[in-house]
Amino acid sequence: MNYDVIVIGGGHNGLVHAAYLARAGRKVLVLERRHVLGGAAVTEEIFPGFKFSVCSYVVSLLRPEIIRELDLPRHGLEILPLDGTFTPMPNGDYLWRVNDHAKTRREIARHSKLDAEAYDEYGKAMVDMGRFVKPILTMTPPDPTTLAPRGLKDLLFLARRFQALSPGDQYNQVQLMTMSAVDFLDQWFETDVLKATMSASGIIGTFLGVRSPGTAYVLLHHYMGEIDGAFRSWGLSRGGTGAISNAIAAAALEAGVEIRTRTAVSKIIVKDGSAAGVVLDNGDYITANVISSSVDPNLTFLKMVGTEHLPDEFVEDVRRYKFRGSSGKVNMALDALPDFTCLRGPGAHLRGAISISPSVEYMERAYDDAKYGHFSRRPYIDIVIPSLTDPSVAPPGKHVMSCFVQYAPYHLKDGTWDDQRDAFGDTVVNTIAEYAPNLKDIILHRQVVTPLDLEREWGLTEGNIFQGELTLEQLFFLRPAPGWAQYRTPIRNLFMCGSATHPGGGIMGAPGRNAAMTVIGGRS
Amino acid sequence: MPPVIIGSGVNGLVAAFYLAKAGHRPLVLERRGIVGGAAITDAFAPGFRAPALAHALGPLRPSIVRDMELERRGVRFVQPDPRVTALSPDGRALPLVRDPRQAANAIRAFSTSDADRYGDFCTALGRTAGFVDRLMDMTPPSIDAPSKGELWELLKIGRQFRALGRTDEFRLLRWGPMAVADLVGEWFESELLQGVIAAQGIFGTAMGPWSAGTGAVLLWRAAADPVPGGSSVTARGGPGAVTHAMADAVRDAGGEIRTNADVVGIAVRDNGATGVVLADGTEIPASAVISSADPRATFLRLVDPIDLEPGFLTRIRNYRMPGTVAKVNLALGRLPSFKGMDAAPAGRLHIGPGIDYLERAFDASKYGELPAAPYLDATIPTLQDPSLAPAGKHVLSVYAQFMPYALRGGASWKDASGTLGDLVIETLEHYAPGLRSLVEHRQVITPLDLEQTWGMTGGHVFHGEPSLDQLFTMRPTLGWAKYHTPIARLFLCGSGTHPGNGLTGTSGRNAAREIARALKP
Repeated sequence: MNYDVIVIGGGHNGLVHAAYLARAGRKVLVLERRHVLGGAAVTEEIFPGFKFSVCSYVVSLLRPEIIRELDLPRHGLEILPLDGTFTPMPNGDYLWRVNDHAKTRREIARHSKLDAEAYDEYGKAMVDMGRFVKPILTMTPPDPTTLAPRGLKDLLFLARRFQALSPGDQYNQVQLMTMSAVDFLDQWFETDVLKATMSASGIIGTFLGVRSPGTAYVLLHHYMGEIDGAFRSWGLSRGGTGAISNAIAAAALEAGVEIRTRTAVSKIIVKDGSAAGVVLDNGDYITANVISSSVDPNLTFLKMVGTEHLPDEFVEDVRRYKFRGSSGKVNMALDALPDFTCLRGPGAHLRGAISISPSVEYMERAYDDAKYGHFSRRPYIDIVIPSLTDPSVAPPGKHVMSCFVQYAPYHLKDGTWDDQRDAFGDTVVNTIAEYAPNLKDIILHRQVVTPLDLEREWGLTEGNIFQGELTLEQLFFLRPAPGWAQYRTPIRNLFMCGSATHPGGGIMGAPGRNAAMTVIGGRS
Repeated sequence: MPPVIIGSGVNGLVAAFYLAKAGHRPLVLERRGIVGGAAITDAFAPGFRAPALAHALGPLRPSIVRDMELERRGVRFVQPDPRVTALSPDGRALPLVRDPRQAANAIRAFSTSDADRYGDFCTALGRTAGFVDRLMDMTPPSIDAPSKGELWELLKIGRQFRALGRTDEFRLLRWGPMAVADLVGEWFESELLQGVIAAQGIFGTAMGPWSAGTGAVLLWRAAADPVPGGSSVTARGGPGAVTHAMADAVRDAGGEIRTNADVVGIAVRDNGATGVVLADGTEIPASAVISSADPRATFLRLVDPIDLEPGFLTRIRNYRMPGTVAKVNLALGRLPSFKGMDAAPAGRLHIGPGIDYLERAFDASKYGELPAAPYLDATIPTLQDPSLAPAGKHVLSVYAQFMPYALRGGASWKDASGTLGDLVIETLEHYAPGLRSLVEHRQVITPLDLEQTWGMTGGHVFHGEPSLDQLFTMRPTLGWAKYHTPIARLFLCGSGTHPGNGLTGTSGRNAAREIARALKP
């Protein structure tokens, strides 16, 4: 049986991609290696009664047009607000920012009156910047070396958009694209803990520190939410992040997509420079007119296609595409809630994100450890307790706690991740326990997800959660390879639709949708 | 009334010369008793003279050398080969000579594959840096409303970009924002070679080799001399001999230079500069004021804040100048011998054997601490000009990095300078055993001295971090990259303007071109 399109990988991008293609009348088959759909956007009951969003844990920038066009709420998507970021400090104080602007302003004023004033201005500037960047997320990156009219038109569009900004916004925009998060924030704020906790968003999933140039840009993402409507963009999905994937899968199925789990692709068959089908690891051969891969370029090109079918220069580009996973996950089933010394009791501060990012120096030292091949002795941790917002994920009175941990470099100097798993888990527990000493007594179960696990179990090369570093030289028209940023590949009828393509990782869905437009448009 | 130029460093002198050639009779005012700014040769111990700060030139732009007739004025440029020798802690040394094939032979002792790729790297760097070099002569265009002339320039640049071909076009686009550690890692495996090339991306900055954007610094430096490992061009007698001849050229062209003239203020009336005020209270009226001082010194120290719009002031306050370079000049009883080297090191010596070494040296500085093992770049200027020291004796001129301007806990450089001197000698001792006992005198110039004696705010030798957000149209700030300032008849011509890539004189010449145009009646 011949399909119009085979999509490799049933993560959220693969599913979005498939749904759009099916809605455009294509006959689509999605192949997922694991027993469960969703890729890294997955909910699993690791410990009886406790449902963990094992990898990805918050809804970040899921594109509103995707929610709308695929009618995801009807398919079960429900996004619950994740309100605020609580940052405990070693001196017994804390910083607690919430969505309520006035409240946050008062809280920041407690640390610095000047910063409270700057916070308003900062917010306004960031919303303006967000408006500038937003359409770029949904655009197919132009090729800057092209002479084709379409490419030139796109480049001109970008130049014009930039020119249309006010001089102040142009200045901010250039700074955002090039500066480090801390240098950028230094211009606005003086409170160390505020800068530390804000800058943390700039390093998530990258092998960069808060003082590394290029990390300022991600600060914007937090403000794009305000444009989309506050709750849509930053929140928890009822039932865990797997519920997002399930909703997209439901939309895809309704549109006629066929989905097979426990079906691993081992080869993409290339005939006369054109993709012809895939071979499964059981040897079955399935043909299709188009193959779209949502897995990363390392797996797609070096494992499934084979270098013999590819130009040397392209192979070299793929080989040097940087993955360098830098983070891990520790998920815990808890008997009770953690009790933070600086703000006792089960208050609303536990319902948002809890950020272990007490100072800029703390963050930078965490990075220093990783540069030389060690996990951070005192890591940056982003904690969420989803059971407070969504009781369906834990038995009554019990809780699940999701800890995103950075830095956990894929390449360790000493030992392997399998040896270091427990030491890493202990480090995370000990770090949090410095702020919430009761933690050690309430852990019922602990799951440690190392970068090596992300690679082995989720097919993320070197454990990079974004399928490749989000550094400037791997973004936009350079993602994943120079000259191949338009979802196409050197193989005819083979497309890319995962996070390794523009605009990159996070539960955004934009790569899957953008790539679908390319396939439908037949621009190959 | 003459146009007044503040500062007699390379850029100040070059600007003065070209303005004089354009028919103005500029007056150059130098705070110190000696002309040359960072490019001076000065006595530091009885019988010993040294290039006080810079020991190599950018190199200067050939057109400037020609126009100022520096060679006729007695400057003997020397270009030692090997340009640079990288020292390894295991006692070996890697000399990088100009000829790629010969250099590759030396590299082969460390890695065959590196030796095989070196030639290609030289070509790629030459082509990409060659393109960047074209940008150096430009006045950065306005982005929001480019003039016809600017559009024409941009079109020409666009065509030159296309002429690079797809591979080098993408190389340029990728390399700029990259970390230089990644850039060298893509080409080479030998730590020593990686270190000596990557050093060009971090010298003088508060960035380590893993900082994104250091690829751009490498290209920015390589534009002046596209050889991996950097330029070694200097002059017999040190860079001071060059500025000395430049001063002659300025005078011959009709300019005047006054030393011991410390400008403490720029007089502004009706939003236009009218002159400068000296420390002794003298006011010198001027048709224009041209500052070769750094942007922070110019706008935050010399101009009354009332004369600037708050938004602009904020931007200048946010202009980053975190100095990290210190200078140590050593008077040696005889020529030291470095491990792994048969001959005396004619070019620069590089101590920074590997990316991790350089990054660790940077790490400490982030927290305001001195590195345990600093990155050093040294020369022995007495090899070119024995007259700098008594017979048989030598001078070792050493840049030491990363020495943070702001020390942890507010500690003072006055107390830390001894530690810094010891640290440098101790580090050198590993590579040249016995060197310590040769030291007869030493001069330690800390980042604080760079600020107090040389007027570089924050001790930043480039007059501002050459990070992506402070280069080209953003140097010193977006909208003010054309050497003009918000104050009429006040101009900038120093390293804090485009291109500012070391002692090349290009900022001064570009500025003079714009200023001459603006001053036309």
